[in-house]
Amino acid sequence: MKHTVDVNIPLGPVHPCFKEPARVKCETKGERIIAAEVELGYMKKGIERIMKGRPWQEVMFLAERVCGICSVIHNMVFIEAIEQVSGIAVPPRAAYLRVVANELDRMQSHLLANFSYCYTIEHETLGMYLLDLREKVMDVIERLTGARVTCAYIIPGGVRFDIGAQDEAFLRESLARIEDDLTRYTGMFESGPMIALRSRGIGILTKEAAMQAHAVGPTARASGISVDRRTEHPTYRQLGFEPVVRTECDNYARIMVRFGEVFQSIRLIRACLDNLPEGVIRGGGTCTAGETRYSGEAPRGELTYIIRTDDYGRVIDIQIQTPSIMNIEACCHVMIIGVDSVADVTSTFVSADPCIACTER
Amino acid sequence: MAASIIWYLREFFRPGWLKKFLFAKTAPLTTPPYFRDFPEPTGKPCQHALFCMMVCPAPGAIDVVMEEDGWRPRIHKGHCIRCGLCVEACPNGVLRSGRILETRKAEGTAFIVTFRISIDPDLCTGCGNCATSCPVNKQLDPQIGAGGHSSNDEVIMRVLDGDVHVLHEEKCTGCKTCEVSCPTRAIQIARILEGTQQPQKGGGQ
Amino acid sequence: MSILQTIKDKVRSRSIHVSYVDLGSCNGCDIEVLACLAPRYDIEQYGIYVHNNPREADVLIVIGAYTPGWQEKLTPLWEKIPDPKAAIAVGNCPISGCCFNRRGAYIDPPVSKHIPVAAEVPGCPPRPTEILAAILSVRDAVFANWEGRQR
Repeated sequence: MKHTVDVNIPLGPVHPCFKEPARVKCETKGERIIAAEVELGYMKKGIERIMKGRPWQEVMFLAERVCGICSVIHNMVFIEAIEQVSGIAVPPRAAYLRVVANELDRMQSHLLANFSYCYTIEHETLGMYLLDLREKVMDVIERLTGARVTCAYIIPGGVRFDIGAQDEAFLRESLARIEDDLTRYTGMFESGPMIALRSRGIGILTKEAAMQAHAVGPTARASGISVDRRTEHPTYRQLGFEPVVRTECDNYARIMVRFGEVFQSIRLIRACLDNLPEGVIRGGGTCTAGETRYSGEAPRGELTYIIRTDDYGRVIDIQIQTPSIMNIEACCHVMIIGVDSVADVTSTFVSADPCIACTER
Repeated sequence: MAASIIWYLREFFRPGWLKKFLFAKTAPLTTPPYFRDFPEPTGKPCQHALFCMMVCPAPGAIDVVMEEDGWRPRIHKGHCIRCGLCVEACPNGVLRSGRILETRKAEGTAFIVTFRISIDPDLCTGCGNCATSCPVNKQLDPQIGAGGHSSNDEVIMRVLDGDVHVLHEEKCTGCKTCEVSCPTRAIQIARILEGTQQPQKGGGQ
Repeated sequence: MSILQTIKDKVRSRSIHVSYVDLGSCNGCDIEVLACLAPRYDIEQYGIYVHNNPREADVLIVIGAYTPGWQEKLTPLWEKIPDPKAAIAVGNCPISGCCFNRRGAYIDPPVSKHIPVAAEVPGCPPRPTEILAAILSVRDAVFANWEGRQR
């Protein structure tokens, strides 16, 4: 079938609004996009291949480096998979501290995603506000774990560092300040007329299309699908977790879902700190042989590790399923098609929060 | 019109404003004390336990070298990922990074490293490279020959009747020299790491 | 050194345009470069502007361990940058390959094999302050008296 294409516009791999190398090829008719294709392959390092035959203390750091933005969840899912294989029990205090670290990581990841969206629609003021807020979250992460990014906090049988009384007070104080500021910034985003022009009704991903494209994470939840792996996690169940869902299906909804999840993370961390049990933070235990499939909820969606280990706890087979690939596919096959201008392509692409590093590994 | 232009010119040529415009800088940001920086020596003598090298997840990040007054761990910048595992694994507290050493003492956390030797009998040709190359073997039995034969019962492994027999697994230091020298990759060393905690009595958190 | 050259040096050292290219890192260094933009670190107060356009850049920040996908793309990108220019390797990946430098990985570090690298910032990832200090240290060494050194 012959179709008329006016201009074929490639965006990337080095592009002002992409943090990572990806190439989006858009076929346009006038200003309207009629087809889009994402070309990947600039980041393939073969992490799964080098993970094989290594003990957990080496695989853990490679797993963290699958994605530097959401490193804690990669760490957590891999370690919990190993624990499931070897039957290592986690002390309750460590389980709660894991949730604290994970939610802090989710907060900074969502704030970063919303920053890049605001930056892409050229609302730099709000973007900078959010980036400054993210620095406050990074401070807390650094205080808790000792590093800003790739903090290697979770180990089999517990966590590496305990939270002291001073750190806890600092964490609570920071959370109060972050919540205060974020309420203001969310209000700015909700009521900003220029933001609404660039966001509302753009990049529609209907519920059916999201189901068909297997969209996950905030992208799916913004299309009215209530899916979140955290509902099945034992610690989150104790805390009473409910996913944030919106039904507008557009760029605006995706950003607002992320804002909602940051507020939810603040609530979860507070609940964790209030119910923090006393006791040890490491239970000990060595890794043994087994095979399992374990999923967790990364900031971008469902993350699955399928691992097989040998008698000494070395990983002999590992497969990682990361969330971004589904969202990128949904983005380029459904969301981008039919947007009214090329300028909206980048903002729509960024609103799905693509993470090329974990897509390709 | 003219008044407003003059007002602006006066405003912008005020020395205070000019100075602020040209030279204003935020205060230099300091690295917080709880940040895990590159490990630094505390001054305690290194006992050559080599646990730091054994747990290090980054290739080529740490070496323990002989200097004139004893063994010293040396961190290679550009390879070190600042994970702090070496600080936690060192039994003597030779290295220091951020708050790790203090929290390790306060909370009683530790990493226990054990080494296990596994030999695949299908792949092993009984060449004895592993027994010959092993530095611990060499220390225990300087007479050990090219075939890996030894009459000493104290060695980690030796070749007997064309097969490698592991005698003392607990003496292994996990250096993986045997793994590198094995032509068929039959021998493999597992470095098993276990995070433990013995809370101090009375304190305990 | 002529007066014109002095003025040029002064102006250049207060207006540095930075472009960054990710050759297959884990994103950790990426977001730390991005964090330099944050009001906390405020890279623009030193006259350093980050935008990803190699054609108007002075400094190229290289992140990542050089994956095969960049084989035909990095050198042209480097040649697009007008002189005087400098490349800064941020993080362990472009220096040594970091954790990925194992048998079987699809990477080819160090990056200095492919383009000349003026400064290296070790760390996985380095702190934003370290990145800032590296850019500031490169600026004097590379841009001072450029025309004079060309002759």
